[in-house]
Amino acid sequence: MIEDLAMHLADLVQNSLRAGARHIVVRLALQEGLLQIVVSDDGAGIPQHDLAQVMDPFFTTKERARIGLGLPLLAQTAEETGGRCSVTPRHGGGTEVRAQFRWNHPDRPPLGDVVETLVPLLATSPGVEFTVELSDDRVTWLLSTREVRERLGDVPLHHPEVLCFLENTLREGMDAAGLKEAR
Amino acid sequence: MKLEELRKIRERAEAELRLRGGTSRVKIVVGMGTSGIAAGARQTLRALLDEVARRGLKDVIVTQTGEKGLAAQEPIVEIHEPTRATIYGEVDEAAARRIVAEHVVNGRPVTERVVEVREVKG
Repeated sequence: MIEDLAMHLADLVQNSLRAGARHIVVRLALQEGLLQIVVSDDGAGIPQHDLAQVMDPFFTTKERARIGLGLPLLAQTAEETGGRCSVTPRHGGGTEVRAQFRWNHPDRPPLGDVVETLVPLLATSPGVEFTVELSDDRVTWLLSTREVRERLGDVPLHHPEVLCFLENTLREGMDAAGLKEAR
Repeated sequence: MKLEELRKIRERAEAELRLRGGTSRVKIVVGMGTSGIAAGARQTLRALLDEVARRGLKDVIVTQTGEKGLAAQEPIVEIHEPTRATIYGEVDEAAARRIVAEHVVNGRPVTERVVEVREVKG
C-alpha cells in the first residue's frame, strides 16, 4: 500500500492540511545513521482524548472512512528498522509527528522521490506556508515558501516555471544534505 | 536557494498574465488523501501539472484536496467548468494526460473514467 517514505511524508502533510494548518514545517535529517522525518504544523491539533488512539488502525475522525492506517503503518515501519515514531501536541496548538528510521537497516523502505512528492503539495496549497529543512551531520538547508512567494508577488507557486524552480532547488537541497540512496 | 531567479520568473509570468486578463476557465482538483496517495495520486497530480504546463494552458488551474470518500476509485480527479463538474475515478498518469488532452482542451469527457457529472447552475 504505502511503499516508500516519500508517500508517508505526503500522508503526514495531508493530515496537517486537513487540520487547517497555515504553516507546516517538514524536516528531513540524516544524522548519526538515523533518518528522521518530522512534520510539524499549527493546525487544529489532536484532542487529548484522541491522542492515545492515533496509533490504532481502526481509529479515524474522518466521516466517511472506517480506518485510519497512515500513522499506525508509519510507526510500524519505523519500529521495524529499529527506530520509533511519536505524535506530540505543540505548545500553542498544532501537532508534531516525528519518525525515525535506521538508515542502513535492511527493512527501511526506500526514500522514494521526496522532491516530486513535496513540490506538488507545496504548489497546490494556497494560503499555507511551508518550511522545508534538510540536514545531515554537517549542513542544514532551508526552503521557505513565504520567501519564494514574497519574490513572486501574484504569480502562483503552481506556475510551470516556479514548479521547475522548486523542483531544482529542492533537489539541490536533498543532494547537499546527502539525502539520497546509495543503492 | 537562488532566489534571484524568482525575480526573472515573476517578470515573465506577470507579462504573460497581463496578456490574457487573468481569468481561469477550468479548475482541476486532485484528491490527495491517504488512500489517494496510496493509489498513485502524487503521480496523477504531477502528470496533470506537467501536461498543463507542456501545452501552455494558461487558463487552467490545478489544485488538490483531502479525502474524497470514494476510496475504491482513487485517484479521483474533478474537472470544474463554469456549467458542470465532472468527477473522474481511477485516474492514473496516462488517464490524467488523456483527460487534459481530450476534456480540458477539446471539451470531450473521457467517458469510461467518469464517475459522476454535476450540472452547475449559473
